[in-house]
Amino acid sequence: MSNIAEKVKAIIVDKLGVDESEIALESSFTNDLGADSLDTVELIMEFEKTFDISIPDEQAENITTVGEAVSYLESQVKE
Amino acid sequence: MANNLLAGKRGIISGALDEQSIAWKVAERCVEEGAQIVLTNAPVAMRFGKINELAEKLNAEIIPADATSMEDLENLVTKSQEHLGGKLDFVLHSIGMSVNVRKGRDYTDLKHDWMMKTFDVSAISFHKMMQVLWQKDAMNDWGSVLALTYIAAQRTFPDYSEMAESKALLESFARSFGYHFGTRNKVRVNTISQSPTMTTAGQGVKGFGEFFNYADKMSPLGNAPAESCADYCIQLFSDLSRYVTMQNLFHDGGFSNMGMNPALLEG
Repeated sequence: MSNIAEKVKAIIVDKLGVDESEIALESSFTNDLGADSLDTVELIMEFEKTFDISIPDEQAENITTVGEAVSYLESQVKE
Repeated sequence: MANNLLAGKRGIISGALDEQSIAWKVAERCVEEGAQIVLTNAPVAMRFGKINELAEKLNAEIIPADATSMEDLENLVTKSQEHLGGKLDFVLHSIGMSVNVRKGRDYTDLKHDWMMKTFDVSAISFHKMMQVLWQKDAMNDWGSVLALTYIAAQRTFPDYSEMAESKALLESFARSFGYHFGTRNKVRVNTISQSPTMTTAGQGVKGFGEFFNYADKMSPLGNAPAESCADYCIQLFSDLSRYVTMQNLFHDGGFSNMGMNPALLEG
């Protein structure tokens, strides 16, 4: 798993209070990991802070699964 | 209806998320009544809600602040005074959040680190806010500090969960700080205990719709709407309530003094 994916997982564990074992790339934040609408905004803001980027709202709306977050961040972040 | 009740007054309104928010309506009414205001909310709530729309409409400044951070609150109070051009006459605390409620955890199985966060965001933030106002001597004499609360602080409403204890703490801070602020600055500190209200925060409580209807039937006047709550806030910010302090004021259509209402049995 990439460094980005590892960091994304750690953020999800911290913000959503789920077990790392529950998180798969295809997990939906709201349907599988119990995130409410405020959680999803908090996650996006935490990704922005951790990876020092800015995610426009139109892009943020398309990030609904762990995998989508990881691929979006991999496309935006230069490691 | 505007009566210039707040002409020349300056204040801070926290917690306006969207047009359903009580704080949103308070902000609108303050400006209608001639006050100048600064809006504030947590950065995440600003992104989640529509505070920018409100700021534009009211031509008000937004100063973001995490209400659990003394540094953010100090910045809020300093910048607000700079922006508004003097000391403050009124402040509204309309802030509450519980992760345990949001995650639907049973009251008998709460996570206590989340509970600490709930207390910090929903109640201790009120003390922090007042402490900053106090230490910066930021309130004008006869100013008014208000927070919004709920009757679950006194009676048991199971689905309100740990927010009940948060509100009990919040109301207690109002009484205790009310003593200090009253003695030094003739500033009054009160809480308004409002009917259940269809806001984003309210709807986060399990079974809210049914409960809203129950409270509506139990109250002789029906549930007090957000607009009326805003009117009550205006009165308490105005000079027409100068000697009301250290009180928890029910704004609930009579709910708090009802035992049983036959209307509830009529289907």
